[in-house]
Amino acid sequence: MDWTAIGLSVRLAALVSVLLLVIALPIAYWLTFKRRRWTFLAEAVVALPLVLPPTVLGFYVLLAIGSRSPIGRLWTAWTGHGLAFTFQALVIASLVYSLPFAVQPISAAFARIDSSLLEASAMLGASSWRTFVRITLPLAKEGILAAAVLSFAHTLGEFGVVLMVGGNLPGVTRTISIAIYDQVQAFEYQAANQTALLLLVFSFLVLAAVYALQRRPWSVSPL
Amino acid sequence: MSGATDVSETAEAGRTLTVTVRKRLSAAFTLDVSCSAPPGITIIFGESGSGKSTLLRTVAGLIEPDAGHIAIGERRLYNSAAAEHVPAGQRRIGYVFQHLALFPHMSVAANIEYGLAHLPADQRRARAQAVAESFRIAHVLSRLPAAISGGERQRVALARSLVTDPVVLLLDEPLTALDHATASRIIDDLRAWNAAHGIPILYVTHTHREAFALGDRLVFLDGGRVVATGTPHEILDSPASEPLARLAGFENLFDGVIVARRPDAGTMRCRLTGPGPGAGVEIEAPLAHGEPGDRVRLAIRAGDILVAVEQPRGLSARNILRGQLVSLTREGPTIHAVVDAGARFQVDLTPGARDDLRLGAGDHVWLIIKTHSFRIVSS
Amino acid sequence: MTYVRIAALAVLVFAAVASAQPPPPALAVAAASDLQSVMPALASRFERETSGRVTLTFGSSGNFFSQIQNGAPFDLFFSADVDYPRRLEAAGLTEPGTLQPYAIGRLVLYASKASGLDLGRGLAVLTDARVRRIAIANPEHAPYGRAAVAALTHERLYDQVRARLVLGENVSQAAQFVQSGNAQAGLLALSLALAPALRASGTYVDVPAAFYPAIEQAAVVIRASSRKDAARQFLTFLGRPEIVQLLKDAGFLPPRPAAAAR
Repeated sequence: MDWTAIGLSVRLAALVSVLLLVIALPIAYWLTFKRRRWTFLAEAVVALPLVLPPTVLGFYVLLAIGSRSPIGRLWTAWTGHGLAFTFQALVIASLVYSLPFAVQPISAAFARIDSSLLEASAMLGASSWRTFVRITLPLAKEGILAAAVLSFAHTLGEFGVVLMVGGNLPGVTRTISIAIYDQVQAFEYQAANQTALLLLVFSFLVLAAVYALQRRPWSVSPL
Repeated sequence: MSGATDVSETAEAGRTLTVTVRKRLSAAFTLDVSCSAPPGITIIFGESGSGKSTLLRTVAGLIEPDAGHIAIGERRLYNSAAAEHVPAGQRRIGYVFQHLALFPHMSVAANIEYGLAHLPADQRRARAQAVAESFRIAHVLSRLPAAISGGERQRVALARSLVTDPVVLLLDEPLTALDHATASRIIDDLRAWNAAHGIPILYVTHTHREAFALGDRLVFLDGGRVVATGTPHEILDSPASEPLARLAGFENLFDGVIVARRPDAGTMRCRLTGPGPGAGVEIEAPLAHGEPGDRVRLAIRAGDILVAVEQPRGLSARNILRGQLVSLTREGPTIHAVVDAGARFQVDLTPGARDDLRLGAGDHVWLIIKTHSFRIVSS
Repeated sequence: MTYVRIAALAVLVFAAVASAQPPPPALAVAAASDLQSVMPALASRFERETSGRVTLTFGSSGNFFSQIQNGAPFDLFFSADVDYPRRLEAAGLTEPGTLQPYAIGRLVLYASKASGLDLGRGLAVLTDARVRRIAIANPEHAPYGRAAVAALTHERLYDQVRARLVLGENVSQAAQFVQSGNAQAGLLALSLALAPALRASGTYVDVPAAFYPAIEQAAVVIRASSRKDAARQFLTFLGRPEIVQLLKDAGFLPPRPAAAAR
């Protein structure tokens, strides 16, 4: 059992889901409550990672952070080594890849809130911020939890993007899904089976927990 | 004493809500309203789709009109000419939503205290307690909205808006979901509160009962426009025009021709004509302008017609018509009967009356109608 | 304002995690997949001798080539094709003078026992109707894949069998296709055919060296490496006679002395 890879994957998934909540909340708020005529374009952009092959995403992320890109060069100047093929690169790639899994459940939860509740809050003198914190967020709890859990589970299972952007460096970017791939290639089928089963059971438990907490069937899905 | 009157009039003017707004909602509907509401309850009356809620929302600041101005006394809330628009939260207006909009995840106490965030905790609690007691909901303060009755929820909604000491109160059909008994008690509470505080209250409804029970004044909306203002009695009981009569709920409308005028008696005889069965009964109606031969439209409420199963004698009513009961249908606490007495009359009865008289379709009955129950309406 | 504070906290967490990642003190080796069976043993031996750590990443040489161009932090690159290290050297990405051939690879025709094929017929057996799928490494970026295509072309079989080729990401994945039964035969590295898993489930026959250009395998130290000394040490270690013998046993021919870079 490759505990290093498991630890790495869990750390990556945890960090990404926390960061995604921070990023996804304002995006979901803007998509739900501040709609303009062109909001549908933003929705399409957010949903892109759902339909793009991981290799396309990996390619563009690598292009954006590789040693020849402005971001990559800035990073190298700042830290002395490259940004691609590091744990941070995986975090960045995962943030892009799992973004719709965070934004959409939250956005859906926001949209389900009866607008008269928000109006009532406004009429009672609450600022937009106070309405958001005291009414919108508590009533969207389920969606926010689902967003955190889905991004966690999705990041845990990533393969293509991680492989392209991470370079499969043991202890640094060799996540559990890549470790399984390696084991299969080395004909270590039993080890691969064990690791894969672990991932399967864990993901199943996570999803079961999320759906158990939902009151409506299939109310949480990335689409 | 005129000095005192001036002072109180000025005081009242200082608290009067004046509204002139125009808002185009769609190609088919534009709200175009000008009205004012002094301290006291002003009924905003009309059918669904007439613009009542829209009007309320512009006053609240939840909708920005296309043009106009809204003010409470001298204090301007909205003025398109000067591009002024005070945000909803700063208007100090209380709003009771049609479906109450109680925050489901907060206790009753938290709901009521929500608008008092600017006060220290002990003052918040004290004020909430006081208003809860005056609305008789102090015993449910710690419960969630889902755990209390419909009537209690309604009172929480009122308490939540009123605890903030608003300068105007807006109510959007607040009692539709309640049974009569509960609604009546809440109406009493509201009137008591109104008597004590004296702020303009706009009360949106489409039921006559509430309009008569609560309203000092009534503004009648139809198609986004004000078609009448006055007292509930003036508008709903004596509609000046046919559209108003229809809107005011006169179930019976007939075509007629003036047969003879009796100026000294203050009445005139008319023959009910027009298409439909039985165009030939003569009735006595209040005197109106017109000469024999002129066409008129007559309206009469179903509730103003009496039914007898024997030919009545010695009655003061001038109209006693013989007819046959065509149908009886029950709608809630009322029996709607259709009687063919030379014209088709809709008559409302209580179930008790129907049972006592043992009425059934096909029975021969007499209709008794006072002269002044007929209203002459212009088309 | 609270939201800004939360966001700031998140950024700090990110930065903390980012900075709490010192480069692992191990020699990072990128190795061609055909070294899968022998490299782990060599690496542990080296680790025992030097009490240093070596991490191995296997893949196709072409893949590593692009990753290194993009700054992948490997210290040593063991390519299955001398061309890639030469190109890296030309681009100034390698430590000068460290380009070292370490083996010559050999291509074999491998068939699973279950397929019942008679490998005595050589490559021509691939036209047999029982051969539904033939596994080779992807010729786009894997040297063994290119060798396979060259051999098939040489025998004028390529067009015939082309539709039945399945491409592995690297030669190791191609071997895995055959071993799992998804392909009936494959053109693989000898080093992989000799691995226990494949030896047990099939047989192989050499593909004559004349059928394909020599698979000259060379290694090079990456210029951006911060462990160049350890890397050089490892290369020297590989030149030792007993290690060369181990490589021979594993299915590699010793490197041609004259094939060193100028």
